Order: sequence, then structure tokens, then C-alpha cells
Amino acid sequence: MYGFEAASFNIKDGYLDAVVRGHRSGLLTQADYNNLAQCETLDDIKLHLTGTDYGPYLANEPSPLHVTTIVDRCTDKLVDDWTKMRCNAAQPLATFMDYCTYGHMIDNVVLIVTGTLHERDVQELLDKCHPLGMFDSIATLAVASNMRELYRLVLVDTPLAPYFSEVLTSEDLDEMNIEIMRNTLYKAYLDDFAQFCNRLGGTTAEVMRDLLAFEADRRALNITLNSIGTELTRDDRRKLYSNFGLLYPHGHTELAVAEDFDQIRNAMEKCPPYQAIFTKMGYGESQMLDKVLYEEEVRRLVFTFEQQFHYGVFFAYMRLREQEIRNIMWVSECVAQDQKSRITDGIVYIF
Amino acid sequence: MSTQNRYVVAPTVTVLAVMKGRLSGAIKGHALLKKKADALTLRFRQILKKIVQTKQEMGKTMRASAFAYTEARYAAGDFKHTVFDSVEGASVKVAASQDNVAGVKIPKFERLGNGGETKMNLTGLGAGGQQIQTCRKAYLKATDLLIELASLQTAFLTLDEAIKTTNRRVNALDNVVRPKLENTIAYIKGELDELEREEFFRLKKVQSKKKRDADLLQKEKEASGANDHSKVANGGPAAPADGFMGSVKKAASNLLDAVGADEDIVF
Repeated sequence: MYGFEAASFNIKDGYLDAVVRGHRSGLLTQADYNNLAQCETLDDIKLHLTGTDYGPYLANEPSPLHVTTIVDRCTDKLVDDWTKMRCNAAQPLATFMDYCTYGHMIDNVVLIVTGTLHERDVQELLDKCHPLGMFDSIATLAVASNMRELYRLVLVDTPLAPYFSEVLTSEDLDEMNIEIMRNTLYKAYLDDFAQFCNRLGGTTAEVMRDLLAFEADRRALNITLNSIGTELTRDDRRKLYSNFGLLYPHGHTELAVAEDFDQIRNAMEKCPPYQAIFTKMGYGESQMLDKVLYEEEVRRLVFTFEQQFHYGVFFAYMRLREQEIRNIMWVSECVAQDQKSRITDGIVYIF
Repeated sequence: MSTQNRYVVAPTVTVLAVMKGRLSGAIKGHALLKKKADALTLRFRQILKKIVQTKQEMGKTMRASAFAYTEARYAAGDFKHTVFDSVEGASVKVAASQDNVAGVKIPKFERLGNGGETKMNLTGLGAGGQQIQTCRKAYLKATDLLIELASLQTAFLTLDEAIKTTNRRVNALDNVVRPKLENTIAYIKGELDELEREEFFRLKKVQSKKKRDADLLQKEKEASGANDHSKVANGGPAAPADGFMGSVKKAASNLLDAVGADEDIVF
């Protein structure tokens, strides 16, 4: 399919492809992080960031600066970039970009539902939602009191509707169900996203298959790790794993019965790419796992920019920006809390 | 002896006894309060030491907790709202009880509840759940320390107040009540002595008067009975003075006899 794409890709998507690759060069480099790590106060960090793409967003922030403010402004930058690109996108890129934001949308839905259950003010809840995951009817989510109503009244009009068919029970919503609902939705979303990418075909499918497989496997790993010692049964755990990825299906069977970190490790190491990751870590260092996984993800995301004529770059750009914001958050927190010795533990260098 | 620093009382033997009773009470009370003040000060110092320790630990724990939150946010994204919105009631409560140190009631705080062990343990299932739990535990530890510190600080303030009151009482007993009682007792004793001396003098006076009257009576009898008693007439003027001095000596030597003999003396 390669040749065909090259012939027609730039007709519709050439401009945005150029834009996103332009944004890519705006990502912070290792030199930037080194400078940031030298900072003594949050104002120093702001000063350094004003020299980057974040400059206009942080320039007018008055001085006692908080970490949350910095993170919020950086998120604003990502959201602005994203909405600009989304407005200019033609089909099927527009759908693809929408798919990228469904993850946030699920989080927002869950946030509002939880808030409603505890009778919080809807407007307050809306302010807390992630701006990338907003949709028109989000405010009306507050009317629902159980899953069935939620689906019938509100979600049927949203892109998330198909994912709900799996979790549709009339059980009352409580913390446990909500957390399971969130993960079931996410699983359905990842499955759907993978199918959509396959339908798009070509380089996009090839690139995204790799990225989504990693994402699905990472979620499976995290769910297993975080559900050890909780009330979640093995069957429930199994149901939360996505239906693709390198671990599917045999790895999942092993993960589902894993009871401690070493068993998880054994299950994961049967997969060569993950074996490499796990050999990086010594035994018993589960704390480092997040960072190692983030590093692996970033490595894969950066590779997508090596390929031409595909949509994966948009997904990659969003993810890289988010990682970058996480890095900035980490550095700022370390500086603010005077824990500079830990700075390098959290930064994932992108370039 | 100034009149300001004593009680205004009638100087009688009964009041003297009362005052002596009060003095011994004051001395005993002073000793007891002093002991109490020492006990309180001892406890006060212990608490102070503990407060310093806890505060230093507090600094470390709070730092660790704040950082655990950062780590959780790094792994799980912004989970703050998820946690906030699913809170139904306080999972950690503080119960106040009382502790007794040398009669001073000191409020004591204790944690109730296990910090919502069961409810939130699926938060962050997809990412960072473990870090969130670590963060929760870290803050629970910090809360425990805070409660302990609150307990200590309240005890510190209460004890401080109690020690001040007790010391004030000790000093008041030592420097005001005791001297005042002592002065009063001394005053009453002085007054009683004075009264005694006055009484004694009056007694003497009465006695000498009676003696003079008796002498005069005798002289008159002698004068009417035998006029030619020239020897007695010559020694006459000297005899009363000599007789007076002699009677004083006699009265002083056996006062009780005189008291018993003379019906004018009522006591």
C-alpha cells in the first residue's frame, strides 16, 4: 500500500502533516531538560520555558507560581495545537484525531458520573474535566443515576455509545463498579481504535498496530499489578484486558492468575520485546517500572516520525506532549519540594 | 510590726489557735503544691522534648508524603478529582480523651478508623494504582504524626498554664500567706503578753492599795489605843515605803497565794 499513500496523502493531509512535524521540533530536548534541572525556583523554570514553545502561555503568569499553574498552561498549549489541527483535518484524519481523544473522554464521563453520585455541582465538575475530552452533551451526564439510564439518556449520542454495550448493567454505580466501568470502557475503546486503524490500512495501520499493542499490553500489566490484593477476581481481571497486543491471548491467561510481581514478570518475559524492558530492571524494583515503560513508549512514539505518510504522528505528537508535560510537572515538583536529587528519576528524555 | 501585713483580728487565745492551725495548713499546702509543680515541670520537659522530636519527624514525613503524591501523579495522571469526588465521609477521625498528670486534666487525641482501607483500592487500576496507595499510606502516616503533635501541643499549653497557676500559688503561700500568718501570730502573742503585764501591774496596784489601807487602819487603831508609842511614830513615815517594797517582793514570789487570798482578783 505504500506507493498509493505517497501519491494521495499530501492532497488532504499534507498541510497538517507538516504542521505536526513542525510541532515535533518544538518538543523540549535533552539540553532543555538539563537547563531545567539546574533551576532553583519555579520562576527560573518559567524563565527557561519562556524560551520554548510554551513561552506565550507562561509569559503572563504572575509571580507566586504554582506547579499546577505551569502544568495547566502547558496543557493549554497542547489543547490549542490539537484543536487547531483538528479544525483543519479532513476525513478520515478527523475521525482518527477524535479517536485519539476518546481516552480523555472516558475519564471525563467517569469523573462526572462519580461526581454526580456524590451530588457535586455539575459546573464545578466540568471545570475539572480534561479539555481534550469534552463533548457537547457532557453536562447532561449529571441526570443519570444508574448505568442503563446513563446510556439511554446521554451516551447514546456520543461516540462512546458502542463501548457501553459491554458494561451495560443496571447495577447501581459505586466506586468499585465505576473503576471497573472505566477500565472496561477503555478496553472497548482500545479494541475499537485498533480496528479502526486496521480499516485505514497502509502505514497508519502498521505504525498504530505497534503503538496500540504496546498501550494494551501496558494496561494489562498495570491492571494486574494494581489489582493484586484487591477484591477484583481473576475473571473480572481477565475481562479488562484488551483483545489484541503481543500478550493476547496466552500472556493474558498467565497474567490473570498472577499473584505477585515475579509471576507477572515471568509472564511478561515470554514476550521478547518486554523481556528487554524487564532485563533493564533489577529484581524487586517495581518502582522503576513506570519510568521504564514510559521510556519504551517514548522510544516507539519517536520512531513514528521516521515513517512518512501516516496518521500515527498525530497520536505520537499528543502522547509525546503529554509525556513532556509529565516531565515538566516532575521537574517543577522536584524543584518546588527541594528534592532535586530525584529529578533524573522522573524525566523521560524525548530527543 | 506594721499593721498592713497581718490579718485584722482580735488578739485572743482562740484566734491564736485558729491562726496557728492556718499556718501549719499553709506550710503543708506549700509543700504539696511545690511537689505538684515539680511533677508538672518534669512532665512539661518530657513533652517539650517529644514535641521537638515529632516536629523534626513531621518535616521529613510531610516531605515524603508530598513527594509520594508527585510520584503518584506522575504515574497515574491527575487523579485528584477522582479521589475528591468519591469521598463520602471522613475516613480518619480524631477522638479526644483525657489524661491526668498530678491532678491536671490534659486532652489527648487519638486516631479512629483505618483510613478507608477497603474503598478506594481500585483507584488508578489502569495506571498508577500502586503509587496512589503508597501516597495514601504516606499521608496517613503524616496524619498520625499530626494528631500526635496536636495532642502534644495541647498538653504543652495546658501544662504551661497549670504550671504557671501552681507556681503562683506556691509563691503566694510562701511570700504572702505565711508571713502574714506569722505576723498575725506574733502580733497576737505580743498583745497577749502586753495584756498579761497590764493585768499583773493592776494586780500589784490593788494589792499595795489594800495593804496601805490596812496599815492606815492599824495606825489609827494604835493612835487611838496608845498615844505614847513614840518609836512607832518616828519610824512611821519610813514604814509605808519599806512595807511597799517588801510587799512587791512577796507578791512576785508567791503570786498565786495572793490571788487565792484576795477576793478582788477575779482570775
